[in-house]
Amino acid sequence: MRRFLAILVYLGMIIFLISISTCKSQETKGYERHLPSADQKTERFELRFSPKWYPQAQFAGIYMAIEKGIYDQYGLDVSLKDPLSGEVALSLLESGQIDIANFDLSQAVMTNCDSTRIVNIGQISQKNSVLLVGKRSRGISSISDFNNKKLGIWRRTSHIVTEAFIKKNGLNVQMIPIDWSVQVFIQDAVDVINVMRFNEYYQLLQAGFREEDLFIVDLSDYGLEIPNEGFYVTPQFFQEHPEECRAFLQATIDGWLYAFSHQEETIDLVLKIMHDANIRANRAHQNWMLDNMKEIVMPSVAEIGILKRKDFEKTVEICHKYSNLKREISFEEFYPYAAK
Amino acid sequence: MKNFIPMPQNKEEHSLTYQLISFIFSVMLVIFFCSILATRTIYSKVMFKSQLNNMRHLVHERIYLIDGIMDKVETLARTSQDLIVNHDLSPEEIERYLQTLLTENNQIHSICLADGFDSGANPQVMYTVRQRFHSREIINTDYRYQDWFQIPYLTGEPYWSEPWVDEEGKGEMVISFSIPFYTTGKFNGLLRFDIELKYIQGLMTNNINFKIGNNFIVSSTGTLVAHPDQRLVMNQSLFSLSQEFNEDSLAKLGTAMTSGKNGFIKIGPNSPFKDSWIYYQPLVRNHWSVGIALDEEYLMKDINLILFIQTVTYILMFLTISMVIYFRTKSVSRPLKALVEAADRIGSGDFNFHIPQSRSSQEIAALSQSFSTMQASLKEYIDKLRVTIEEKNKIRGDVIYASEIQTKLVPENTIHPFGIRDLRVYGILEPAGDIGGDLYHYFLIDEYHFCFVVADVLGKGIIAAMAMTMVSTFLPSIAPFYKRSSTMLKELNNFLCRNNLESNFVTAILGVIDLRSGEMEYSNCGHVPFFIRKIDQSLHKYNETHSTALGVFENIDIGHDVIKLDIGDEMILFTDGVTDAMNINDEFLGIRGLQEIINNLSTTTPEDTAHQILKEVHDFARGSSHVDDITILVMDYKHPGGVLHS
Repeated sequence: MRRFLAILVYLGMIIFLISISTCKSQETKGYERHLPSADQKTERFELRFSPKWYPQAQFAGIYMAIEKGIYDQYGLDVSLKDPLSGEVALSLLESGQIDIANFDLSQAVMTNCDSTRIVNIGQISQKNSVLLVGKRSRGISSISDFNNKKLGIWRRTSHIVTEAFIKKNGLNVQMIPIDWSVQVFIQDAVDVINVMRFNEYYQLLQAGFREEDLFIVDLSDYGLEIPNEGFYVTPQFFQEHPEECRAFLQATIDGWLYAFSHQEETIDLVLKIMHDANIRANRAHQNWMLDNMKEIVMPSVAEIGILKRKDFEKTVEICHKYSNLKREISFEEFYPYAAK
Repeated sequence: MKNFIPMPQNKEEHSLTYQLISFIFSVMLVIFFCSILATRTIYSKVMFKSQLNNMRHLVHERIYLIDGIMDKVETLARTSQDLIVNHDLSPEEIERYLQTLLTENNQIHSICLADGFDSGANPQVMYTVRQRFHSREIINTDYRYQDWFQIPYLTGEPYWSEPWVDEEGKGEMVISFSIPFYTTGKFNGLLRFDIELKYIQGLMTNNINFKIGNNFIVSSTGTLVAHPDQRLVMNQSLFSLSQEFNEDSLAKLGTAMTSGKNGFIKIGPNSPFKDSWIYYQPLVRNHWSVGIALDEEYLMKDINLILFIQTVTYILMFLTISMVIYFRTKSVSRPLKALVEAADRIGSGDFNFHIPQSRSSQEIAALSQSFSTMQASLKEYIDKLRVTIEEKNKIRGDVIYASEIQTKLVPENTIHPFGIRDLRVYGILEPAGDIGGDLYHYFLIDEYHFCFVVADVLGKGIIAAMAMTMVSTFLPSIAPFYKRSSTMLKELNNFLCRNNLESNFVTAILGVIDLRSGEMEYSNCGHVPFFIRKIDQSLHKYNETHSTALGVFENIDIGHDVIKLDIGDEMILFTDGVTDAMNINDEFLGIRGLQEIINNLSTTTPEDTAHQILKEVHDFARGSSHVDDITILVMDYKHPGGVLHS
């Protein structure tokens, strides 16, 4: 029996060692496959990227790609600009002050409601993370309790899907634009608040709320399973620099894969970036966020970075139904990689 | 004797010193643990209570200080709001008034006035830098989404904010009291008074007069707004620490502190508050809570010191007592050891060994004296014993010799004694001791007369044996002169009465068989009956007695009976040793029992009959301690087997 166990252990160790070496060689091969030539390496292409939110583990893949020199290996010189979203981001993209920006899928569709102003070069979020929460102690325990209540929505980012939810369910709520703080909800200045599962929701848990204290609506459960942020550039930029756009996406994906497999190191870096930026941060929160991001970014390895046609079509359908989208937008026009 | 006393294997372990010290050690150990337990329980409660009271006072003191500042700022803000809303002051007058407040109250870090919100006027932020007054207009409308503005704006209630960085002011982290104001019921502005967070934090560290692990403030969300470890401040809440360090007690503390409760709680070993006791109490002005954490190690320091001193004291006491016992028992045991040695020597037979006399203690001296007395007594006793044993051995030798003589006095068994063809005789004499008082004897008086006798002398031992010897030698000597059983016994009686010093009486049956006619004359003097087993197996008992026992009364008349013996008659004679045999239930065999034994006999020779009866009697008496001389004499007359055999 003991001998049998020893043989099993040896076999296990051999399989483990082989798998590690295979993984390593695959990773190296992956980089090599996308690595530009030696000449290109010396002249790195400068890319200015503006994330949609303040530094946090939501962008851990990008931080790790910069930190580990993955962008360098792809011949890119990526710099992070101030967080921007919506109209401001669009104007900076169009004026050439930044090259790449984050938009939520619904926000990007609506940005293109008249003409194609931005194109998707990579879909990082594959899942909806938006939740609506209310306090059960304030009598909110069903969707109908939202009626005639104040709903806090982010003023800086898209809330098209939240609005679609309100309209779809025929609710009468007072939308209150808010900034990043959840104090308005804690202090009962609003009754319901828009939160991201990976961020504000956990802030509420860290403020002493328990899951059972809250009435939670996951928009995905109400036919609004629309993924959130992706990378967008202007059509012109994409036409001029298709290889760099592809390299940026690939390097970012590699950054995410690195982050997921080196969680402690990644959290250390995220916390450092946040402390340097004077942003409140704690390890438990960022760990939670990175765990969530793993599910959001990589439900399966095959889906990572790709915008799926069904997600796009569902978003367009919702925008037609609940927002002011009048024209038809083709998948190929929105997502140039689909055309190839 | 010495060899039969098991001596201890390890002398050290069983020495008096060792046993006393181990006993004292065990008792002291029990007392030690009890006292440690009692000290720990009682003292720790008292000390714990006292330390917790200290903590409570300290927290009260901090709360008094912080609440005092907040109260002052809140009162100034409310007074200013009243001044702005209810008095017709010009913007310049208001600014001057607020400037005065700023310069006169160092607790106020900055003031922000958002007046005329309706008319689209921008808020004005005022502060002083090195006594110089600054006033700046906030142009960016982002302020409308900051908590200090948005929450009182939405709720219509004054609001104490969480710490935030006032980028439009001095760029420091502040906490703000915002009070909205209304014109004709409509929101028209807001007045904000700021206190620098560092100022509040400073109040937590000043004048702490004993070592405290951590003192801290948490906001209404459990966020640490003041803590000695600056890395935690504004980054961690009690809940986030609970999650990060997997310490449930911190979440409990967070819930208690954010819900405005006060009390004590013990925090587990994980997290920056490891193993500390925390007293917490809420501030009055806002929903914050102040806590003071005391390291359990510090809390237990005094009690641990007491326990340490107690332990050392006990160890010293034990060592001292052990040493005293060791040396004292050594001095006591020295003469005892000498006595033991002396006892050993005496035990091995050296009765002249000198017993040492000790004066170390009265008890030991008395013991030595007793030993000496015992030695002398033992010596005397052993000498006497030696003489007695020698005498006894001599007597024993005589007795064995007497026993041999006695055996020889009884006729040796032969099938036909004296060649008499018509008689077969077999006798058994089994003395209870070495020598007995029973006797059987037979002899020819003349050519035609065969005499037999079975007698039992009262008592046992030498005297009885002597009497028996007298009977067995006397009868053959007088038989040729008297020939009749009655006269022979009469003579024997007179002889015994005259010569029997101990007055041992004798029972006897004496018979004379006329070998020609088969007539048997017999006399029974106080003896047990005898039986005649006929050839047809019928049994006749002859229990007539012809006088009392012999050797008691002189010149008594003794009668006799005559029986005509038939061919094959088997005479069975015995002493009371047979009938008085007892079984384990103390029941006698009796005549009836013997009769039954004889009835069941199927033997054909006197020898077999005698042995079979003896065997049955032995079987009956097996297990009984009662023993008596047993004599059985069996004779048959003209038995066909005997005649044929011959």
